[in-house]
Amino acid sequence: MKEPASENKPKIGVFSLTGCAGDQLMILNLEDTLIELLSKFEIKSFQEASSYSENIRLDIAFVEGSVSTEHDLEKLKEIRDKSSLLVAIGDCAVNGCVQAMRNSQTSIAERMLDVYGVEDNIYRALEPKGIGEYVRVDFEIPGCPVEKEEVFNTLISLLNGDPPLIPDYPVCVECKLNGYPCVIIEEGKPCLGPIITAGCDARCPSLGLDCVGCRGPIKGETNAKAELEALRKRGYPDKYIINRLRFFAGNFPDIRILGERKNSKGEK
Amino acid sequence: MTVKNPLTPMEAEIIRVEEMTSIEKLFYLKLTDPQIIGEFHYNPGQFLEVSVPGVGEAPISICDAQREPGQLQLCIRKVGRVTNAIHRLKEGDRLWIRGPYGNGFPMKLMENHNLLLIAGGLGIAPLRSVLQHALLYRTNYGLITVMYGVRCYSMMLFREEFIRLFREGDKLNVKFLLAYEDESDTKCYQLACERSDRCMRGLVTRLIEAATITPDNTYAVICGPPVMYKFVVRELTQRGFTPTQIYMTMERRMKCGVGKCGHCITGSSNSIKYVCKDGPVFTYWDALKTKGLM
Amino acid sequence: MYKKLLKDDLENFIFILKKFGVVHAPVREAGRVYEFTELTDSKILQLNYTRTMIPPKKFFLKPKEQLYILNRREGFKEIVDDSKIVLLGVHACDINALNLLDRIYIDQFPDRYYKTRRENTIIIGVSCKPDEYCFCTSTNSSYALEGFDLFMHEIDDSYIIRIGSLKGFQIVCESENLLAEASSNDIKEFKRAEAERLKEFTLHLNVNGIQDILDASYDHPVWQENADICFGCGSCNLVCPTCRCYDTADFLNLDLKTGVRVRRWDSCMLKQHGLVAGGLNFRPTRVERLYNRFNCKMSLSEDSLNCVGCGRCTVYCPADINFVEVLKQVGED
Ligand SMILES: Cc1cc2nc3c(=O)[nH]c(=O)nc-3n(C[C@H](O)[C@H](O)[C@H](O)COP(=O)(O)OP(=O)(O)OC[C@H]3O[C@@H](n4cnc5c(N)ncnc54)[C@H](O)[C@@H]3O)c2cc1C
Ligand code: SF4
Ligand code: SF4
Ligand code: SF4
Ligand code: SF4
Ligand code: FES
Repeated sequence: MKEPASENKPKIGVFSLTGCAGDQLMILNLEDTLIELLSKFEIKSFQEASSYSENIRLDIAFVEGSVSTEHDLEKLKEIRDKSSLLVAIGDCAVNGCVQAMRNSQTSIAERMLDVYGVEDNIYRALEPKGIGEYVRVDFEIPGCPVEKEEVFNTLISLLNGDPPLIPDYPVCVECKLNGYPCVIIEEGKPCLGPIITAGCDARCPSLGLDCVGCRGPIKGETNAKAELEALRKRGYPDKYIINRLRFFAGNFPDIRILGERKNSKGEK
Repeated sequence: MTVKNPLTPMEAEIIRVEEMTSIEKLFYLKLTDPQIIGEFHYNPGQFLEVSVPGVGEAPISICDAQREPGQLQLCIRKVGRVTNAIHRLKEGDRLWIRGPYGNGFPMKLMENHNLLLIAGGLGIAPLRSVLQHALLYRTNYGLITVMYGVRCYSMMLFREEFIRLFREGDKLNVKFLLAYEDESDTKCYQLACERSDRCMRGLVTRLIEAATITPDNTYAVICGPPVMYKFVVRELTQRGFTPTQIYMTMERRMKCGVGKCGHCITGSSNSIKYVCKDGPVFTYWDALKTKGLM
Repeated sequence: MYKKLLKDDLENFIFILKKFGVVHAPVREAGRVYEFTELTDSKILQLNYTRTMIPPKKFFLKPKEQLYILNRREGFKEIVDDSKIVLLGVHACDINALNLLDRIYIDQFPDRYYKTRRENTIIIGVSCKPDEYCFCTSTNSSYALEGFDLFMHEIDDSYIIRIGSLKGFQIVCESENLLAEASSNDIKEFKRAEAERLKEFTLHLNVNGIQDILDASYDHPVWQENADICFGCGSCNLVCPTCRCYDTADFLNLDLKTGVRVRRWDSCMLKQHGLVAGGLNFRPTRVERLYNRFNCKMSLSEDSLNCVGCGRCTVYCPADINFVEVLKQVGED
């Protein structure tokens, strides 16, 4: 199914940096509607960012994965320069994701030693961070993996020339809209839903599971201290709570602080 | 006919679009349903909920005084989803509107008084409807003083119209004063050279300081960015304006315009106000009584 | 006109109710909270429930609903839902909450969706027993005088039925065989049960002058203390039977020409509630939002609170913020 290249189709590129799930759009691509939707764009690049070399201006670049090496960073900057809009897709690109879990707890050197048995930063590794830490990001689609519905609506909005609507409220809202029982209240489970960006339609609580925070904290609103407080009250040890918070949100300042304070207390 | 649904927008044709600044356009609209045209009346200070189907809805003040049945003007700044989509529309395209909503300015009450209209930036849009109304029924009102603060010449709205008033307003007993912020703005500088008592560099409050205004038989009407109100009100009260002589219009994230969605609620529990239906026009006295209104 | 229905006849009564609409009632499935759902089998009915997490408001102002089918060129086509529903087992506080919502949704600009559903829904109240979170006697909403079609008060082996509307009267006529005239003894029982019930309330809140007390207490430390542990998650509003805030959004289909306009419940505890163009927020902090919520709940208008004392906001707050406790602190020091 090859559409004739049309002048007014927005030109897009899809790139992946160091990713955890990786190839997010590829997976979704299997869906019929998405194929039809993507056919409304002119896809210029669909590749690993590291092999990025083309010299075309893009209307929209979708970037997945987080920046973990100097090389990632160079490519990312290049993509930014050549694109009018840059959209971060998936948790790695948005927040640094699971890879950022240990950020600021252990140094890069320690981690290199751990993993590769060497102390040198041979791969020129950076602390994994969302791409918004390095370049201007126009829109973010969180999730690990991303939600089909959200990708669909975002693409439709962009196609229509509108800024996409991405939720900026917590998962609890979706629990209530659907009438799902609260797993913190009813079962004392360590749910992170109150501080995590909605958009998954409260998938985990709908199954009676506690939210693990895969869509990342709500920017500018997360009350991590409240989460610590609420779970403490239900008998969870600080260490457990902090590790849980860090899993998907290691790069969030107020969550980092929780860990740091804890560490220094522990050491004394 | 079925019961009317207040949330259902009506079709309007865009009959003209004027680019006013890099971010603001003036849209001339005409309702298309002849049955509605006859019933469609609006007052200065009222607003509409304007829809672009598939994009969303936004509250926008009507910026002219009603003359032709079913016609109106909207001055729209592009800041987000809906307003950007509106900016993409051209003559002959459709917009969907509902309203008019809100109390509007008390034009009847203000008859036989002098009017002092103070606007900053986009705030001039609703005040222009007051000005036009007063000019339309000129003999009902006394001296009209307009104080308009802009960043620079290129950001000035309704430029030709206002520069004409600036130069020739006296014939209509209108004093039009302009304040501009950008010091490298040569065009405004020229205006200031032309009439140094009518155009000066600084914020709109500078105009109040420089002018001799008295509260006698006068109503002041303010509209502008939220930070402006505090300073303007202070200047006016210092000059003896009472809280009920000062009117202002307020903005909120109005989703319905009809007192349902709750987004415009302000005040504490002894003074809850809905900006959409109790306002958007309030007196300074209302603002004093209603926590968080201003 | 007080009628009496034997509990043994309840199942037959429900059978008759089905003629008037699809019966919805409080049930609780394993691992779930009480909720109003379609009563497929009268055996799962739980008329002795404490409270549903989501109030019956959900039948009138839906948590999420499509308002219009939209078309770029043709505009908005209203989506009409004229299903007939019978709500069986609504508590007095929730009925009173609907009466408050009516004042907002059926006013000078009546909301078509809400009003249509209100007209198409039969409400049958049921008496209840308070738990430690109920304080409806303090908000004057522990007894329903209007806003229902029938109201069933439990006494021993039967229910005393009050008739609240013409529709209620029609149901009574249809169920002639099942209902008896309440005897003077039954009425005595009814009064006794009501008096008993009043004695069971353990939670009380003094709302005398609360509007001014709140107005004067913007600087009270209680707001900051609670804002520190509050998530701003909105649960308290979303479970409240009198909260009426909503947000709307448009969605386009693949053709970029057609789509839907939807609305969903909103909450003033969420940060976007007070946001306007240019990024200015009228309630940027959780302190301001908490203050706003409590003020809104304590005043619908000069003559009315906007809270019916159902206790939901306290029960379903993941941070355990206690609504009545906060108000007591504000009022007492
Ligand atoms: C009574 C009244 C009269 C008005 N009259 C006029 C008028 O005459 N002319 C006019 O141009 N405007 C007027 N406005 C303002 C106008 O309503 C707003 O500019 C408009 O609603 C913006 O809608 P939008 O969809 O374009 O922007 P949105 O997409 O809703 O965004 C608007 C702004 O809100 C912020 N924002 C939105 N969502 C978020 C988010 N998730 N996180 C952070 N920030 C966010 C952004 O800063 C953005 O710039 C009036 C408003 C009121 C209440
Ligand atoms: S289950 Fe989790 S996400 Fe849902 S309401 Fe409870 S705390 Fe919030
Ligand atoms: S439910 Fe509790 S934590 Fe959530 S917003 Fe309300 S008060 Fe705050
Ligand atoms: S404020 Fe709380 S107690 Fe009052 S009606 Fe709402 S949920 Fe019930
Ligand atoms: S308390 Fe908040 S969410 Fe509830 S009705 Fe009032 S403003 Fe709306
Ligand atoms: S804008 Fe919806 S209540 Fe005022």
